[in-house]
Amino acid sequence: MTQDDAFAADLLRGHTDTIVLGVLRRGDRYGFEIYKSIRDATGGDHEIKEATLYATYRRLEKDGLVESYWGDETQGGRRKYYRITDAGRAVYGRNVSAWVATKRIIDSLLDVKDQTNEH
Amino acid sequence: MSTDIHRLLDEAFAGVEMTPDAQDLKEEIRANLVARVAELEVSGRSSTDAAQLAIAELGDVRELLEGAGATTSDSTRADESYAAQQLRHRVRPKVGFVVRVVVWSLAFVVGMTLAVLGATGVLPLPIGSIIGLMGFASTGLGLVVGDSLSQETTTNHPVPPNRAGGYFLATLLASYGLGFAGLVALGAVPMWCVVFAALGVISSIILFAFLGASQTNRHKAWVRRAQHDAANVSNRFEDEPETAARFGIYTAVIWVVTFAVIVVLVFTVGWWWAPLAFVAGFALMMLVLARMMFGSRKT
Repeated sequence: MTQDDAFAADLLRGHTDTIVLGVLRRGDRYGFEIYKSIRDATGGDHEIKEATLYATYRRLEKDGLVESYWGDETQGGRRKYYRITDAGRAVYGRNVSAWVATKRIIDSLLDVKDQTNEH
Repeated sequence: MSTDIHRLLDEAFAGVEMTPDAQDLKEEIRANLVARVAELEVSGRSSTDAAQLAIAELGDVRELLEGAGATTSDSTRADESYAAQQLRHRVRPKVGFVVRVVVWSLAFVVGMTLAVLGATGVLPLPIGSIIGLMGFASTGLGLVVGDSLSQETTTNHPVPPNRAGGYFLATLLASYGLGFAGLVALGAVPMWCVVFAALGVISSIILFAFLGASQTNRHKAWVRRAQHDAANVSNRFEDEPETAARFGIYTAVIWVVTFAVIVVLVFTVGWWWAPLAFVAGFALMMLVLARMMFGSRKT
């Protein structure tokens, strides 16, 4: 992993909770689906580790931001689905606006405008 | 699908104490691993390879369980009282919200008063404007409900806009329906208008039922933790079954006596004294409950 990747992975990991909430906003998902959504979105690079995700689900559930329920699959083990709660939506919304505000500040401090124009 | 994955999962959990929590995690991981293995097999790996890779990607499960244990222990700040936590997480009402609620409450009160005066014939208003006023009042009431729900409070996150809108609509329909029923009762509109009343009330009931059934958690994390700690403190009746049994017997005695007193009162001083006995019985039961739940413990 290059230094750039490590930097990006670090940034991403800092927002794991919000990212998982964002995925669940689109509908109930079980662990592997959440993992896959994130992996697909990152194009397979610097993905969030599964172990990190399990820890995230537990924390989110303890804080009441998601609820879990078991699916009724008969083959290959029952899946544990996660559903976002109203509290989860509220926290998601707040984190997204915080991110948008922060992004704007960092963009302007790092002169990102010029960079993107060059490409 | 080979059974490799199940064997490897058992190995990964070897030596882990199988608490219900660990068992839950194991089952959750199992389903996810099965899905991952299926994906790897589609991409052309042998089933044994796929199983081994999936397990390797997972990492050490012991770390996960230990991590969970660690987070629960450092988050239990039980030494801080509920009141202190409430103060720390305090959210003050927004000025704009307070002003809006006052305005909408006024709209409700004014609209309702004028509509009632019109319907009873005190004010000479045409029926159309009475119905209009009723709608005005109902909108005010609905806005009070909807806006209040979408506010963040000290203990709760705000209700999402769509859901708050649902509550607004349900309140509006209920209020409008009941208002129409009132107009019919007062004879201000013909009898068949009861259809509108029924329509409003029934659709609001359906909407409220849907909203209630699909409502999820809104409590903030600190409240949930406080509730969790409070639940840990103890439920006396669970700790001491004999106390619970004793309470059961006392309750039965209290209500039998209450019933007897009611019968006596009805036949001696008159039936309107009967509720008094009921209230006394209820108060007595609550006192006994408080005494048994929170009284000094015998050790």
